[in-house]
Amino acid sequence: MNLFLRIARLSLRQQSTYRAAMVSGLLTNLFFGFLRAAVVIALYGQKQAVNGLSLRGALTMIALSQSLIAFSMIFGSFDLIRTVYNGSITTDLLKPVSLFTYWLARDTGQAIVRLIWRGLFFMLIFSLFYPLSLPERPEQWLALPFVLVGGWMVSFAYRFLVNLAAFWTPDARGIGRTAFTVSQLCSGFIFPLRLLPDWFSKALAFTPFPSMINTFLEVYVGTTRGAAIWQALLAQLFWFAVLTFLSQAIMRAGIKRLVLQGG
Amino acid sequence: MQALSNTLHELKLYRRMVGIQIRSQMQYRVSFWTDLLSTGFLNASYFLGLVLVFQRFQNIRGWTLGEVAFLAGMIEMSFATMDMIFSGFDPDTFAPMVQMGTFDQFLLRPMNITLQVFGSQFFLRRIGRMIEGAVIFGVSLSLVHIAWTPAKLLYLPLVLASQVAAMGALFIAASSLTFWTVQPFEVANIVTYGGVEAMTYPMTIYSLTLQRIFTFVIPFIFLNYYPALYFLDKPDPFGFPIFAPFLAPVAAGIMLFLALQLWRFGIRSYTSTGT
Repeated sequence: MNLFLRIARLSLRQQSTYRAAMVSGLLTNLFFGFLRAAVVIALYGQKQAVNGLSLRGALTMIALSQSLIAFSMIFGSFDLIRTVYNGSITTDLLKPVSLFTYWLARDTGQAIVRLIWRGLFFMLIFSLFYPLSLPERPEQWLALPFVLVGGWMVSFAYRFLVNLAAFWTPDARGIGRTAFTVSQLCSGFIFPLRLLPDWFSKALAFTPFPSMINTFLEVYVGTTRGAAIWQALLAQLFWFAVLTFLSQAIMRAGIKRLVLQGG
Repeated sequence: MQALSNTLHELKLYRRMVGIQIRSQMQYRVSFWTDLLSTGFLNASYFLGLVLVFQRFQNIRGWTLGEVAFLAGMIEMSFATMDMIFSGFDPDTFAPMVQMGTFDQFLLRPMNITLQVFGSQFFLRRIGRMIEGAVIFGVSLSLVHIAWTPAKLLYLPLVLASQVAAMGALFIAASSLTFWTVQPFEVANIVTYGGVEAMTYPMTIYSLTLQRIFTFVIPFIFLNYYPALYFLDKPDPFGFPIFAPFLAPVAAGIMLFLALQLWRFGIRSYTSTGT
């Protein structure tokens, strides 16, 4: 555990040094946030609410999903793939922690910095331009930290699992791009799932994707209430467990067949 | 005569540079096809999201799904084509050349520098996105009835070419800036990738500030929205002069001219990183 914290702290410090990248990332998120907001406002037109979601709620969801881009790495991560291809995974395998724990620790450090810089700052600036809502009931405030971390955990486990493709194929980046495309649409990042057809979100209930982003959006805006909040949190834990279990089995098989070229 | 044979010679060199790129990319057939598919899927998912959201909303400021698909299909096709032809000017591939000093090699060769950068990369996998754009365009044609006239049929390829040139100008400008910043100038993504997303929707959905920026700062409005009004026979809500739909080539020409000026200025003031 001590080692985990130390890796996380180093990764946090590394992430904090890229200030310029943080600022330009923030500006990019803001611009795309403005575009998405314009789309949602135009779609709503004169409508007060759609599928139980007010325009203000929809705008808040759009803002939140932009603010989570860096935190949950919605566009995916390819770091493990890179270490398999360039061979530096050897040194990672020699470390006294499992590969999964090592990357989880690194992701933790990064995520904390990104949550503040790209998440919190984004929400503060964005709320100057658009009317956003804040959670009203205490149960929401109580649950939010849990579903935020839960969403990040599911997203991490999914990304880790996808990265393992590098053990089998030299084309893992293409596979990753496709996999992260699916998760963008199905997690409610492109549009909040509540604004998509019912059959679509019903089908997604059998997948880990809504747990990544949509759960947090729904709890924040208040469209998921009461016992449903805790059910959603359980679903997140369930999917984290499933994806982690899968990735452990696959990782062991992958490492066994890993042949590293010297040099 | 001398100038002409020079140009022909350089074009031949360019063809060979691109030919080498294509041959080498086709060596890894499986990689090529997975890259092509994943590039196509990536952008298709955004359109798929739009299709799904239209199940609930039916229209956006009076534009139906078929009409929005016209906007999306056009800009997807032309951006993907640009992304392939201008691969060398993609700030993400160009900035590392400045960073590592490999750009210096271009300066030593007895050949036009701009042409060398053009030929330095040619990502064939962008065809995936071109196909995706063509499919969206096909969806649009099946959903909306366009009253085609000879003039429209002649103007359509000209609009696409203008969009390619205009978006290429943005790539050149963004890459030129890396002569000074050395790092990839990430905010440039706002005008390139952000521009594509902005042009996917009718301009009426944006706030006055954004509309002004898309008209006077970077004239996106003339590249896709106004031509679409003409092709779809939709009335102009802004009351621009009647020739507004035909300004796409003009806007593209000005953008390309300015970008090339910046590019030349960048090369002149380039000092190698020394690595």
